[in-house]
Amino acid sequence: MNAIEFILAGMLAAATPFLLAALGELVVERAGVLNLGVEGLMAFGAVLAFIVVYHGGGHFLGFLAAGIASAALSLIFAFVTLGFRANQVAAGLAIGILGQGLSALFGKTYESLTIKGLPKLSIPGLSEIPVVGGLFTQDVVVWISLAATLGIWVIFAYTKLGLVIRAVGENPKAAHAIGYSVVTVRVLAIAFGGAMAGFAGAYAAVVYTPLWADGMIAGRGWIAIALVVFGTWMTGRIFLGACLFGAVSLMGLAAQATGLDVPSQLLSSLPYLVTIIVLGIISADRRLLKLNGVASLGEPFER
Amino acid sequence: MLNNLTRRTLMKGLAATGLAGTLGSRLALAADEPLGITLVIPSPVGDVGWGHALAAGLEPIKAAYGDKVKVTILENIAEGPDADRIMNKTVADGNKFLIAGSFGYQNGALQIARRDPSVTVLHASGFQVAPNFSPFAAKYFQGTYLLGMAAAALSKTGKLGSVSAFAIPELITSINAFTLGAQTVNPDIEVSVVWVNSWFDPAKEQEAAKALIAQKCDVIFSNAQDTPSVIAACEEAGVYAFNLNSSMKKYAEKTYLGCVATDWSPFFKASVEDHLAGTFKGANAFLGVAEKVVEVVDWNPAIPAETMTKIKELETKIANGSFSPFTGPITKADGSEGVAAGATLPDADIIAMNWHVKGVATPLPK
Repeated sequence: MNAIEFILAGMLAAATPFLLAALGELVVERAGVLNLGVEGLMAFGAVLAFIVVYHGGGHFLGFLAAGIASAALSLIFAFVTLGFRANQVAAGLAIGILGQGLSALFGKTYESLTIKGLPKLSIPGLSEIPVVGGLFTQDVVVWISLAATLGIWVIFAYTKLGLVIRAVGENPKAAHAIGYSVVTVRVLAIAFGGAMAGFAGAYAAVVYTPLWADGMIAGRGWIAIALVVFGTWMTGRIFLGACLFGAVSLMGLAAQATGLDVPSQLLSSLPYLVTIIVLGIISADRRLLKLNGVASLGEPFER
Repeated sequence: MLNNLTRRTLMKGLAATGLAGTLGSRLALAADEPLGITLVIPSPVGDVGWGHALAAGLEPIKAAYGDKVKVTILENIAEGPDADRIMNKTVADGNKFLIAGSFGYQNGALQIARRDPSVTVLHASGFQVAPNFSPFAAKYFQGTYLLGMAAAALSKTGKLGSVSAFAIPELITSINAFTLGAQTVNPDIEVSVVWVNSWFDPAKEQEAAKALIAQKCDVIFSNAQDTPSVIAACEEAGVYAFNLNSSMKKYAEKTYLGCVATDWSPFFKASVEDHLAGTFKGANAFLGVAEKVVEVVDWNPAIPAETMTKIKELETKIANGSFSPFTGPITKADGSEGVAAGATLPDADIIAMNWHVKGVATPLPK
């Protein structure tokens, strides 16, 4: 297996934690809410999924527990920001810190334990193609997140539900005036975002790395938030950004392993640079950026 | 009125007695108050890894001194101003023996030592020394040299790999000794290094291990990872792996090559004894096999008997000081001379090593 095969085979799995969390945050932000607690929500989901799987509950239950727990935690955020119109930035940071603290607390006795991940499923035929074949051999969660990406794109592009979420994010007063409950839509969006962050954390802890260690999310939640902004709130670009980030970080490691004479510090920062540059270039059109940006992002809604 | 006065007097009296009581008990305690030992580490203690090794090094002291010592472990303390504050607090609380378990605690810990001569400070992997301040580090390279021999004997591809945290002298030294040891068995062996540029990111460490395995490296050295990320990934891929500090055999029953284990208890115990006797003298403690701080454990039974005999011979020589892994001739990766034929690199140069030996395929980050 050479370096290119290694990157192609690992790219999607490396991108999955970013992708899942970013898709969730996309829905939250499209509804006009900025939740900066993704990192903590991921950590909280990760530890709960790990505990469930470690005690023999299986991966499905592990993901379920992570989704429910992180969604529940994000509802506290919804409660203070929508119920009391608290500042979303401060509340999001607080929930993030709470999530990280809770994950450290619950994970205390599980520190550095390992479990078995999930088997990889191949697409017959496609996975035997030389070089790119590895791309078609992935675990089931990767396939599901690809489907989720497609699903969210369809929802925003073609369905009334997508339009309602966008209306609430663009102009909550107008949405309210025509009879949609802004608060209900936002609460559901926040819960969905929380659940997705939980799944993302679960993927990191029980499939990708399969082990628990306090702090293992290591900033991935923040990258997910950045991907939403640099992807200009468009599903396709966020997917592209996540894959790019995953591929370039693997490329940096592969380049070192082959003995390429490039400073490792540069290689380590390359994923950030490349993702920012590429997404910056494709969203350079100011008019489009304005069109895609969420008009009432971060503003509390008052009737 | 009278009632009120009486009450007030009573309160005063009570307060005075209370105060006297507290003072009295304080004074009485001072004579045989237990020695407060505080260990500060940047990571969680966990089952394995650096923090675990330091915490385990304090266990024999607890057993030996019983009530005479009170051990406190403060984990997850990020390097920086927060660590300074926490170390100051623990010393102000009366703990006179401080173990600062990370390089980044150096300045804060040194300030404490300078301010209060009655405090003894041990500091991990630093370079500053004061009368009551000793830096300590393990000679991991003595162990990685021996494991390099085993790795070369087991490798089928002639390619070894190392997942390493940061390009600092301690880690570079370990990789160099690993390479030199491997070359005694197979002179053409090649070592690839992936620097993850992070002390803690299990997912990235695992990706790095997989990148090395994709390049046909079939023995991986997990250099300074606190979790079994690399070891577990290697077990899954069926390649040999080893690590530092504490054994991770339970994470890789089949492919665990061994562990350069550190046992800090002899050093901690001697330092506590000196502190209690009032004879502690700060010095650079660079400790290895001879001091029984470094020992390779959990050797994989697959290592050929012939190689194992050679390894054991060298281990004895390292322990009695008649052999150093950094004995010339050693050529640097850039082709220049590292150590002249017959010469042995002094400890001071080993501690500050910033070059790779010939045979390390990955260039050193500058």
